[in-house]
Order: sequence, then C-alpha cells, then structure tokens
Amino acid sequence: MTGTRTIDVSGLKPWNISIQAPLWWGQLSIILIEATMFSILIATYFYTRLRMDVWPPPGDRFPGLLLPSLALIPLILSAGGSYLASEAAKKNDRPGMIIGLGLNLILAILFFVLRVIEWHSLNFNWMEDIYGSFVWAFLGLHSFDYIAGLVETVVFLVIILGGRYAERERLGIHVDSLVWYFIVGIWIPIYIVIYWGPHLVETAQ
Amino acid sequence: MNPAQGPIFNTEEHAQELTILERVWRHPRGIFGWLSFTTHQAIGMRYIVTAFIFLLAGGIEALLMRTQLAFPNNTFLGPDRYNEIFTTHGTTMMFLFAVPVMEGMAVYLVPLMLGTRNVAFPRLNAFGYWMYLGGCLFLYWGVFTNTAPDIGWFAYPPLSGPEFSPGKRPDFWAQMITFTEVSAMCVAAEIIATIFKMRAPGMSLNRIPMYCWSMLVQSFMVIFAMPAIMIASSMLLSDRTVSTHFVNPAEGGDPLMFQHVFWFFGHPEVYIIFIPALGMVSSIVISSSRRQVFGYTAIVLSLIATGFIGFGLWVHHMFATGLPQIGEAYFTAASMMIAITSGVQIFCWIATLWTGRLRMTAAMYFVFGFIAIFVLGGLTGVVLASVPLDLQVHDTYFVVAHFHYVLIGGALFPLFGAFHHWFPKMTGQMIDEKLGKITFWILFMGFNLTFFPMHILGLKGMPRRVYTYPPDMGWAAASGLATVGAFVIAIGGLLFIANVLWSRKHGKLAGNNPWDADSLEWAAASPPKNYNFAYLPAVTSRYPLWVAPEDQVIVTGLRNDRREVLVTTLMDAEPHHRYVLPPPSIWPFLTAVAVTIGFAGSVFNAWYITWGSILSGICFIGWFWPRRPVELEP
Repeated sequence: MTGTRTIDVSGLKPWNISIQAPLWWGQLSIILIEATMFSILIATYFYTRLRMDVWPPPGDRFPGLLLPSLALIPLILSAGGSYLASEAAKKNDRPGMIIGLGLNLILAILFFVLRVIEWHSLNFNWMEDIYGSFVWAFLGLHSFDYIAGLVETVVFLVIILGGRYAERERLGIHVDSLVWYFIVGIWIPIYIVIYWGPHLVETAQ
Repeated sequence: MNPAQGPIFNTEEHAQELTILERVWRHPRGIFGWLSFTTHQAIGMRYIVTAFIFLLAGGIEALLMRTQLAFPNNTFLGPDRYNEIFTTHGTTMMFLFAVPVMEGMAVYLVPLMLGTRNVAFPRLNAFGYWMYLGGCLFLYWGVFTNTAPDIGWFAYPPLSGPEFSPGKRPDFWAQMITFTEVSAMCVAAEIIATIFKMRAPGMSLNRIPMYCWSMLVQSFMVIFAMPAIMIASSMLLSDRTVSTHFVNPAEGGDPLMFQHVFWFFGHPEVYIIFIPALGMVSSIVISSSRRQVFGYTAIVLSLIATGFIGFGLWVHHMFATGLPQIGEAYFTAASMMIAITSGVQIFCWIATLWTGRLRMTAAMYFVFGFIAIFVLGGLTGVVLASVPLDLQVHDTYFVVAHFHYVLIGGALFPLFGAFHHWFPKMTGQMIDEKLGKITFWILFMGFNLTFFPMHILGLKGMPRRVYTYPPDMGWAAASGLATVGAFVIAIGGLLFIANVLWSRKHGKLAGNNPWDADSLEWAAASPPKNYNFAYLPAVTSRYPLWVAPEDQVIVTGLRNDRREVLVTTLMDAEPHHRYVLPPPSIWPFLTAVAVTIGFAGSVFNAWYITWGSILSGICFIGWFWPRRPVELEP
C-alpha cells in the first residue's frame, strides 16, 4: 500500500452557509413533503367539489375577499424580512440578522392577527359539512405550520440577541428562510383556491 | 483499500489519531446515554432488530389465521378475533416490518457505501427510530387491550367510519400510520441529503453504488407518497374524533376519495418496499458474480422509471369501484409498463450472472429464489392489471396469492439474501452458509406450498377476509395445504433465527471483505467502528475496491477531535467544505416522547394535539439550542 495517494482537505472551510450545506437539502425534502401534503389536500378538495351539485352546501357563505387579500401584503413582505436575515447570516452581520428577523416577526404576527379576525367572519365550522371541513383543514394545517415558523423565528431572534451563536446557528437562519418562503408561497395557491376559486367559478349565491 | 494501514503516516501518529477518533465517536454510557445514541450503525441495527421482532409478531398472526382456515367450519378463532388478526397482520407487515426494515438497512449501509462517517442528520435519525418504536408500541397496546383494528390494513370507510366502527379500533390504526410515516419521512430526508452531499470524493453520479441509487429513488417515493396516507388517515381520524365529514357521504364526504388517496400512497408503498430490495439484489449479484454489472445505466434508469410509473398505478386497486372506462384503460397500460422496467433489470442480472464467475453463496440462493417467485408474481400481476380478469378474481384468494408472491418474493427473499450477505459486515462473523442454504430451501418450499394453492382457491371463488367456509365449497384441500405450508415457513424462520444466534456465538471471524466485494462498506472494519473509516476513502471507479491498491485514494486533513465529515458537490462529488455532525443527544428521544403523547392522546381527546405540539415545540427548541461552549472558532 505504499502507493496510496491522498487528497488533503484541511484547506477547505468548515461549514458553508449556502445551497451546498446538507441541511439545506434536508430542509428541501421536508418542504417537498409538506408541499405534497397541501397539493393532495387541494386535489381532494376539487374531487369533492366535482361530486357536489350545490357548492357550498346550503347555509354556508363563501368567505369574503377583502380581509384575506389585505393580509397578503404583510405576509409577502415578511418573506423580505426572512431574505434580509438570511443574507445577513451569510455575512455574519448581527444587526442585519436582528433587523431581518424582527421585520419577519412583526409582519408575520400582523398577518396572523388579520387571519384570526377573518376566522370570526366565517359562518361555518368544520363540523357543519364537507365544505366546512375542507376550509378549516386548509386554515388549520397552514396555521400549524405558520405558528411553528413563527416560533422558530422567535427562537433565532433570542439566540442572535443573546450573542452566543456560531456557524451552526447562522446556517439555521439561512435554512429557516427557506421554510418561511415555503409557508408564504404555499399560501398563495391555497388562498386562490379557497377565496377566489368560489367567486371565479361558482354561480352567485 | 484499507485506510487503516495508511502508509504515509508513521504508526505512532496513526495510533494517536485512532485514539482521538475512538474518543470523539464513543457512545455515551448509562441508560440516558443509550437513549442518546446517534451513530447510524446503532440506529440502523435498532431498526433491523425491532423490525424482525415485528416480523415474528406478524408471522404468528399469520399462523393463527392459517390454523383457523385449516378446516371448514373451524372454531379456533371467532369472526371478530379473526378480523382483528388479519388487520393486525397486514398492518404489522407493511408498516411495522417491511418499510422500517428497508429504512434500517439503508441507515446502516448507505453511509458506509458512500464512504462517510454518519448520515447527514444523526439526531433526526434517532428521532425517526423512536417514532417508529412509538408506532409499534401504540398498535400493540391496542392489540393487547382488545382494541386492535378490525377493518383491513387499508381501513376503507364507511366501514371504518364513526357510524359502523364505534369504539377506538380504527383510531389506533389511523394514528399508528402517522407514527410510522413520520419515521419513514425522517429517514427519506436524511438519506437524500446524505447521498446528494456526503459521497466520497470522486463518487460522481455515475459511480454511485446500485443500492444507494435504489435508496435514493425510494426516498423520493416516500416523500411524494407518504403525505397521501397521512392525509387519508388524518381525514378518517378527524371524522371520527372531531366530527369532520371528509369521508361521510351523508354530509357530502366521499368514501371513494379515501380509496383514491389511500392507493395513491398504497401503490407506491409496494415500490417503497420493493425498490430497495432491487438494490440489494444488484449488490449481491455484482459481488457474487465477481464482475462489473451488466447495464449499469439501464438498471439505474429502470429504477427511476419504476419510481415514476409507480405513481400512475393506484387505480388498478379500484377497478371494481365503477370508474370511467378510459381511466381503467390508462391504468391497465401503466400497470403493464411496470413489467418492462422490471424485465430490464432481471435481464441485466441474468447477463451479469451468466458472464461472471458465479459463487453460489446462501445470499445467491435467495436471489435466485427471488427471481423465480417474483417473475411468477409479476405474471399474475399482468393478469390482475387487465380489467375483466381483475373483476373476476377481485377480493379473492387470487389477489392474496399475487401480493404475497410479489411482496415476499420481491422484498423478503432479497432481504434475507441481503441479511446473509451483510451479516459478516454487521457482526464481524460469518453466518453459517450451509444452514443458510437449508433455510432457503425450507422457506422456498414452504412459501410455494402456502401461496400457490391460493391461486387455485381464488379461481374457485374463495373470498378474502372470511374467517371460515362451509365444507361443500371444495376449498378444504387447498386451504389445508396452505396451512401446512405456513408451518413449513415457520420452521424456516426458526432455523434462520437459530442460524443467527449460532453464528453470533460460533461464526468464523469475517475480516473486512470476506466476499472480495467491490463497494466501500467492505473497506471498513467488520463490524464497523463508530467512525466507519480511519481516513475517509476517495474513489476513482464505480467499483472502488476492485481498483489496484496503489491507485486507491484516501482523504486527509479532516479534524478528528470533533465529528467532522466531508461535504462534496452534488454531481461530481468534488470536495466542497467540512461539516460538523452533532454529538449524541437525549433531545431526539424526549421529542419523540412528546410527539407520542400528542399522537396517542389525540385518539382519546383532540386537545392532546395542542398539548403534544407545545411539548414537542419545547423539545425541538432544546434540540436546536446552541451547545455550550459555543464553538466560535470553526
């Protein structure tokens, strides 16, 4: 074995906050799983819709468009906060991370407040009929992801404010931004399906 | 290659490095330590052992059923108990044995084959195992409290709905699904990241070992198929616990929708079990015929094509539900297409074996058994893909015969082969070859004795899932034969266990590479050290260990005083950066306990989802919280 050749990797940097990190790919897999889940839910929604004559079932009122559309503004802007935090994490710019995460947090909370207000305007719950079950499944599942994402942002903010962080946490912030883009991005098709869909396709009630 | 004898290091320096590696990768001690293991060999072994225990449980359930069906009008089991047992048998075999054992083999083998030290997310790996164990205990908690599901392994509503199944039995089924799916998804995510980013330098996409290709395809199938079953079982569960109406026809829900979503998962599920088995067969064929595989590209493309086509077949489980004819025609064509991709692989293996220098190991016996049985199962599959024939034998024992031929033939035989093949690597000892071959013959004969008569029973019209039958139906002889066969299989199973135990005690020492095989796992010690390789290997060929030793390459310059691994680029596997894996941790276990509280409790009270989420949120924060001292100097 005297001829064994070697590759010396001591010159390579440890950690890399980019698409090259295994964590980025792991997160992508998780996002694919959730995206598939929401896609199947959308497919089953339309499957059920096609088998019903009256939609929504008598008694239910379609949700209004104004509040959910308005809520999109802080939601989409909150992804900007995520982006700032992620770019700052790459450069190890602490104030940048704090500003980005803070912006993300404030706007995300604003969206959620609007969503909760909107919940009160719905005149059906999930026990009413299949329509109610679906709308609340979309809202419930997305809210679950949303709250989990919010908690993540808070945790990162606390860690960065505390100042005890290193590459691992910065990589976390970068990858977390991916999660947040997903949570924001997946809401757009769901929003179209449950708010615009009925108004575009269904006859006026 | 044997990096442990790395030449450019003097022995003293080398011994020092090994001591450091040993210390850094040492398992923590004590019961808390045991719950904190994160090395892939330990977790993989836990998966495999647990899965085999549940194979035994599922096997005992099968024997109980066969005993009941041995004679007409038998009263060994009542109808209710029989329903519970056939449901638990199917559920155990699919969710608690077949998928987890494939995941476990992958967790064990993939990092070794790729030439790295662990999977990309060791803690997620541990968490996945604890979730799987939670699912096992949860289902069998039901079994031992007379709440075992009794609705078939697919739990069709309306039978499984609140109206026709009061009580908690279907809830145990539905929530067990969630446990095991979470576990499978964890493994899928980490296998993808590991194969994409942690391959040995030089292992470009066209040099990935065949088994790793199959696991990559399987992991993607898990990602796209498993969410469907989570949706299906959650819809069923929420209908039952919080009064939604997804599958309740009275309020606009649709039981057929459940079937669509279930089989959108259920068919790929078969391939999730079967594709890793194909990878195992390829590995065994290559090392046993001692030549390069014939048609590497063709086999890889077939694997990928099978992965895609697998998603276009689900409706062939629903031909009897009155779907539009154009849909049935499409799904018939797609189902027959699977025969092409499977055929390509079988011909490539035959070509490899034919032109190689074949060594008939026990593993090879199982491979030949696999080819014989699987081809037969494939043929009945072509029969069932045709709508008129399917309608004729729908819900009869013909279907039972078919899927046992493809599942046992297609997955269990290769798995047993793989177990004989990799046993020396996992334990450091040889498994007794002669006993292995006898095991094979007993299993092979028992299998055919059990399941071949079921074809005939099916053609004679015996329906599935009946707990007994009258004597004048003409089913008694074939049924009795099947029961005899089932006990022959049981003898084979016992012999296998005896062989494992005997070989653990008396087996010859294996050495690193007893089969003179080609892939990197055989360069590690047997059993592998926690860090797998003293120096990570780099590869210059598709068959790294068949390269002349002077041309073999190793990686130096990784820090050994922490769990450092090398990340390489996706396509060409060029070294990119060093990556630090986390030390052992109790958090994955605690998180799994928290999630278990949420899942298991939600069967009884929906609020447990909230409490479980809060608890597991806290655990996840603990899991991620920066370690002290924070490593500021990378």
